Amino acid sequence: MADTMKSKMEQLLDYIMKHCLWQFHSRAWDRKDQNEGILSRTTQLLCGEPIKLETPADRCYWVDAQCLADVYKERFTWINEMPKDEIKQLMKELHERLDYLTITGSLNLELTDQHY
Amino acid sequence: MPYHEFECSKCIPERKKHAVVKGPGETLADALPAGYLNTIPGSISERGCAYCGAKHVIGTPMKDVIHLSHGPVGCTYDTWQTKRYISDNDNFQLKHTFASDMKEKHVVFGAEKMLKQNIIEAFKAFPNMKRMSIYQTCASALIGDDIHAVAAEVMEEMPDVDIFVCNSPGFRGPSQSGGHHTICIAWFKEKVGTVEPKITSDYVINYVGEYNIQGDQHVMDDFFKRMGVQVLSTFTGNGSYDELRSMHRAHLNVLECARSSEYLCNELRVKYGIPRLDIDGFGFEPLSLSLRKVGLFFGIEDRAQKIIDEETARWKPELDWYKARLTGKKVCLWPGGSKLWHWAHVIHEEFGVEVVSVYTKFGHQGDMEKGISRVEEGALAIDDPNELEGMEALETLKPDIIFTGKRPGEVAKKVRVPYLNAHAYHNGPWKGFEGWVRFARDIYNGIFSPMHKLAFLDISKDEIPTDKGFETARMISDVNLSEEIRSSTTLREYTGKFDCVGEILKKTDYPNFEPEPVGAL
Repeated sequence: MADTMKSKMEQLLDYIMKHCLWQFHSRAWDRKDQNEGILSRTTQLLCGEPIKLETPADRCYWVDAQCLADVYKERFTWINEMPKDEIKQLMKELHERLDYLTITGSLNLELTDQHY
Repeated sequence: MPYHEFECSKCIPERKKHAVVKGPGETLADALPAGYLNTIPGSISERGCAYCGAKHVIGTPMKDVIHLSHGPVGCTYDTWQTKRYISDNDNFQLKHTFASDMKEKHVVFGAEKMLKQNIIEAFKAFPNMKRMSIYQTCASALIGDDIHAVAAEVMEEMPDVDIFVCNSPGFRGPSQSGGHHTICIAWFKEKVGTVEPKITSDYVINYVGEYNIQGDQHVMDDFFKRMGVQVLSTFTGNGSYDELRSMHRAHLNVLECARSSEYLCNELRVKYGIPRLDIDGFGFEPLSLSLRKVGLFFGIEDRAQKIIDEETARWKPELDWYKARLTGKKVCLWPGGSKLWHWAHVIHEEFGVEVVSVYTKFGHQGDMEKGISRVEEGALAIDDPNELEGMEALETLKPDIIFTGKRPGEVAKKVRVPYLNAHAYHNGPWKGFEGWVRFARDIYNGIFSPMHKLAFLDISKDEIPTDKGFETARMISDVNLSEEIRSSTTLREYTGKFDCVGEILKKTDYPNFEPEPVGAL
């Protein structure tokens, strides 16, 4: 079960790393905001939950989230059959892994460079 | 990902941290090339300087501006003969180049007076041009000329002109990237917010990090107009000085080359609350997704989808004709910065080529993160390579073609590796759906040129076949193709025109969309 979840998470992660750009903003705090802003909304979309679009920034996060959710539903059809609690768990693990690769485990020395 | 040490660079041990091989199952957290560091003495870098990055890359594509370098005349070298950022005002910015022509006497006695004379002379010589940008160079920076003060004096005397000053001498940073940063911040601080624009649509964007190489901006501008989106400004290809002063009124910043101009988008986001949407304008799928994102943001995704459907139906059979013939060919993707990641995955997916190496001349570690994520396993990633490393990589990787700048490109030709100009293109534009097919055609022509095949023969020692007649590219490319592909009635070669931009510039029949009710967005 755990292996299956990990394999599914890797598929979702691989798509982001290969096709998206939003996770690679140049500052650590910015990457944190991007990952949170987009993946939290993607989770809501995959679970059929409503999303608030109150500011232009909300809307921009939602655009990337909507496109990601659409691709996930189309390419990884197993996600359409998944119970909501499992989707949330899967997306939580994805979020943690993405944060690790792009922020906490990143070897990019510029992310926290005060003189950037 | 193990670090890679070049044989030729063993005498420069610091270089080992600048190259990695993407190994199976390894991640960005295992190894990442060092980046945006001063070039190591002894390593013959292919980089440009920070002045070049500010003026020749970012500043000069602005079309309605006298671009004046305050320094020796040689600093203005890059113009129509090396650059291809065209414009719709008869390429004024490429045809005319200006320098204050500093000499030794000016270094000794100062050059401010001479600069002022030059500015006035240039405005008088081109009375229709009322905007100027002045670029500091190493020489004028070292003697401490106050260009801002001179510009302010002239603006007081000539109230109808406006002057932008960019203090980015060649030594201000390890590479041209330092100049990108400097000019973005200077433009934001000094010019953005100083003009109020005329808003003509409910949907207004700045298109940032697009330099109109061979008409890329015209192609994208056409898509946006067909969607009813107003491109308030383009930073900076075919961009207008005053439009760029009004960037603060856009609803969305659509960012193409994040390497050169994310700084500007980040500032606009913080000060004016304009969100930043990063896009890929190259390749059918990434471009489709990008148009769709802009459409979604404004709630007009149906308009984007209509364009995507029309363009895909028109050009996909031609893309697939080339893909059938390019599949499996090995490519070294060696551009300056952003094309490393714009192209890394999509040339593999849509042309079928194998990217065996990526490099960046002036990219930062963030660009390597994007590029390495997108290439397939086994690719060699190199930061700021020197010429010998490039040669060694060509010998070991044996690519069928490389995409790079003209300096390393000409070197590659000497070892019989064809190259395409990744910076200025061969037969661009390469953006857009048609443009992407033109790129595929250029790759095809590069790899399968009969002339190139003949170049492998050394008349001093090889036997020259006299029993064979003239070969065409098609005879070489189709030799191993299946009959089904060779005789396909659905796939076809590029059928566009020699000039695919001229028609776009003449277009006036854009749809007139009804304004949305207030509060709809």
